[in-house]
Amino acid sequence: MLDLRRLAAASLFVGLIAPSSAGSAPAQTEDELRADVAVLTGPGTEGRAVGSPGAALARRYLISELEALGAAPLPDARELGLPFGFLAQVDDLGSSLTAGGHKRFGGDQVRAFAFSETGEARGELLFAGFGIRVPENSEVRYDSYAGQDVRDRVAVVLEGAPAEAEDGTLATLRRHASLRAKAAAARDRGAAGLVVLSEREAFDPEDRTAPGFDIAAPGSQGVVTVRIDRAAGERLLAGSGLTLEGARRELDRGDPGEARLLPGFATLTVSLDRVRASGANVAALLPAADGRLAPPWIAIGAHYDHLGMGGASSLNPHGGAPAVHPGADDNASGTAAVLAVARAVAASPLDRPLLVAFWSGEESGLLGSNAFVSDRIRPEDVAAYVNLDMVGRLRENRLTVQAMGSASVWPSIVERANVPGGFDLALSDDPWLPTDSSAFNAAGIPTLNLFTGTHPDYHRPSDTPDRLNYPGLARVARFAGLVARRVAAIDPPPEFLRVERAAADTPARASMSVYTGTIPEYATEIEGLLLGGVMEGGPAEKAGLRKGDVIVEFGGAAILTIYDYMGALEAVRIGEPVTVTFLRDGERHTVTLVPTARP
Amino acid sequence: MLGSLLSGLHFSLINMFVSSRRRAGPGRGGARAALPAVLPVVLVLALSPAGFAGPASSGSAGPAGGPPGVRPNGEDGEPDESRFLTRIRRLTVEGRRAGEGYFSPDGREMVFQSERAPGNPFFQIYLMSLETGDVRRVSPGQGKTTCAFIRPGSGDILFASTHHDPHAVQKQKDEIAFRESGRERRYEWDYDPTMDIFVEERGAGTLAQLTDAEGYDAEGSYSPDGAWIVFTSNRDMFERKLEGREARLAEVDPSYFAEIYRMRADGSGEERLTEVPGYDGGPFFFPDGSRIVWRRFSEDGLIADIWTARPDGSDPRQVTDFGAMSWAPYVHPSLEYILFASNKLGFSNFEVYMVDVAGEKEPVRITTTAGFDGLPVPTPDGRGLSWTSTRHGGEGGQIYLADWDHEAALAALGAAPAR
Repeated sequence: MLDLRRLAAASLFVGLIAPSSAGSAPAQTEDELRADVAVLTGPGTEGRAVGSPGAALARRYLISELEALGAAPLPDARELGLPFGFLAQVDDLGSSLTAGGHKRFGGDQVRAFAFSETGEARGELLFAGFGIRVPENSEVRYDSYAGQDVRDRVAVVLEGAPAEAEDGTLATLRRHASLRAKAAAARDRGAAGLVVLSEREAFDPEDRTAPGFDIAAPGSQGVVTVRIDRAAGERLLAGSGLTLEGARRELDRGDPGEARLLPGFATLTVSLDRVRASGANVAALLPAADGRLAPPWIAIGAHYDHLGMGGASSLNPHGGAPAVHPGADDNASGTAAVLAVARAVAASPLDRPLLVAFWSGEESGLLGSNAFVSDRIRPEDVAAYVNLDMVGRLRENRLTVQAMGSASVWPSIVERANVPGGFDLALSDDPWLPTDSSAFNAAGIPTLNLFTGTHPDYHRPSDTPDRLNYPGLARVARFAGLVARRVAAIDPPPEFLRVERAAADTPARASMSVYTGTIPEYATEIEGLLLGGVMEGGPAEKAGLRKGDVIVEFGGAAILTIYDYMGALEAVRIGEPVTVTFLRDGERHTVTLVPTARP
Repeated sequence: MLGSLLSGLHFSLINMFVSSRRRAGPGRGGARAALPAVLPVVLVLALSPAGFAGPASSGSAGPAGGPPGVRPNGEDGEPDESRFLTRIRRLTVEGRRAGEGYFSPDGREMVFQSERAPGNPFFQIYLMSLETGDVRRVSPGQGKTTCAFIRPGSGDILFASTHHDPHAVQKQKDEIAFRESGRERRYEWDYDPTMDIFVEERGAGTLAQLTDAEGYDAEGSYSPDGAWIVFTSNRDMFERKLEGREARLAEVDPSYFAEIYRMRADGSGEERLTEVPGYDGGPFFFPDGSRIVWRRFSEDGLIADIWTARPDGSDPRQVTDFGAMSWAPYVHPSLEYILFASNKLGFSNFEVYMVDVAGEKEPVRITTTAGFDGLPVPTPDGRGLSWTSTRHGGEGGQIYLADWDHEAALAALGAAPAR
């Protein structure tokens, strides 16, 4: 077993002075890391997609390794595996569209969107060009529905945005051309339903998955919405004098055109199945040097899930055909490194108990870590959390250490750990990271994330075990262990520092300078915008909003999802009061919020 | 790591709803912008080494300007630093900046200065174990300190400090208030006349005062046998009556009067080694004790060069002649070459160089990474190099350590053209 204290004392001086032993970790650790990664990426693991048998196999391995170390379950748990539920996907159970007596579409030709309302919509068919509406305060004037009564009609729109609009205009139009934005525009005009004319020739009859699924906003956009394939689109337009290509050509240059009625009275029926699934984290406790298991703990973790056979997050260049995405670096590397730290700590305990965690559902939106933080612990149980995500590709001795700003002790700890660690450090304060440490940061727990950088194999089937730098991985594991050891020695636990997200990283958008100080909660199916919190001293707090409130109207716009909220923000101005309606404990309240400039 | 699609949404959302308290101030890190060839004293100090760790024992404390004719920042076809430096690692992280790192003779410890003491905006002295990473403060925590050095044999730690200045704490508060006001000097070394040399006696943990002359006493280092200390002092300014030009210089540039001195390790037998007008400073012994090396500014303070002499000051020899600010010299344990820093490539573009001990050949550039690189110190075994750099992009220098290819260095020096 790796003993970090002994290592620090004995082998590092040699590593410092003698180039030949360049910061090497014991060969035994390296061998163990290789073996761990081999199992995690090996036969049967199939890319470890959340909720899959492959992930279950990897999880059984992790649990058995931890049990071999004598690790204990969490106080309220009997087992190391901790299941969590999530909305896995939305399936179309057979949506259909009829227009008049003779135009009937179903089966392969119609697909409801995952964000569609379920049910039936009836009304005249209104063709509304691209179906884009730009908020009125924008310099760009564009409203596909201008001058038309949309109420109780079924809107029919093209996909995308005018391709040949002027550059400045096009950027604005594209921002409002997402399918969800089009659905919101139709809904806000009172449309009964929305039909999107797809350029696709046909839909796969085997695949009933509803498109447009987003785990971060899995709720309904509030209007029955489908897309129909190309042939169905042409037939729908037939008799109106329009063709798909003709309509597109006419509108591509940027003129919104005039909405017009199509022949036929429509009936649009959508039936969806919201498929729930479960994944599981692994969490275990190793006792402190005095045998204590009681919190506060030092936590260390890594996500063990990956992309399975591909999917939306895959960057697989080979036409997206299903292929095992082994995720050796992402994140068998971090998983193996956390196991290495657990083995070392089991042999030589820390001053606090160590919570060892392996997350699932990270790749789908931090599902496992978010569920764990909200359901399994109190924030005060965890003194600090160290995350390892993609740590197997050490190059040029460069280790990225992120979230340094989340506690004032990190610079001191990282400095001391890096003397034996020996990395050329790239440091950043920002704790708002696309990895599991964000769940802890949001809960007010100091975090630190280790990362050896991205690479061309990221999220591709080529992220294979043979491409890992195992000596480097062993050094990262040792460094992580030293950080855990040092932060465990700090009493009382380190104080959390809230770091605001740097505005400099945001895309150049006029609305980005408007600040409301709301912190939305993601991945909820609640209708409205659930607040995970409000910024201290921000406009939302001043307006009386607080964590747990659900915003349902903002500046007159209905808010069903976070996309609606983003759209509504586009329409507000700094200093101009906005009426906000929200639900608190089931009661409806209305307050006035004054947006400020981003501080 | 979370995939691109989702994380894109998360980021844009987070960006929209959460604000920034931190913002990059305009002009910060902008010190590398084009500069006029000659600048007023304070401005030059403010701008030159972009927030580097401290000029004192080897620094650019004197007034200086960009000599006409130097090349601007930029590429000059030099090979990459990886031919000499590998496995670069960052040694200091905590605090606004750190620098002046010097090894114990066994290479197991490093003493350095860092701005990290709570409530004190100035450098304090710290000792780092290069085995465990443990760090402890050596200096009292009050006032300003600079330029520590570990005594061979005993492990005593020498440094310069103003902690017995009755105004030390007030000066700290003034500096904090000044920084909080939003104005910020890049660097100002004021040659505090209350600065004296102290030594922490290892084991005893007590501080002994070695100098008490009026004036700035600092930049001290030990001989390899631990018996002698060479240091810098501008006491000359206080010891005689100044008239005319000298009196005016004393007002604007107290470093003009700085000269090299030596004394025994117990502070006795003080002796002045240099007599040339202009700032002489940053002296170190050769690893065999045979000579000393230091940097000498021209009388007008515009350029500096590396000099060596016998420990009694006799036989002075000029080693570099760049027409630039060449400073912070340290002799490699092989006695073959001297490592130093120079802005030969442009006024604010300091890089680490080396030159053969006799200065017979052209110096060879070592560092090639953007940012300030200076204050080079080889490890005692000659196989490592430590230096101070802003290569991480921060505003303050931090200490780095790398493996050093001595053979490649000898080959490059051998291939260098004659001066």
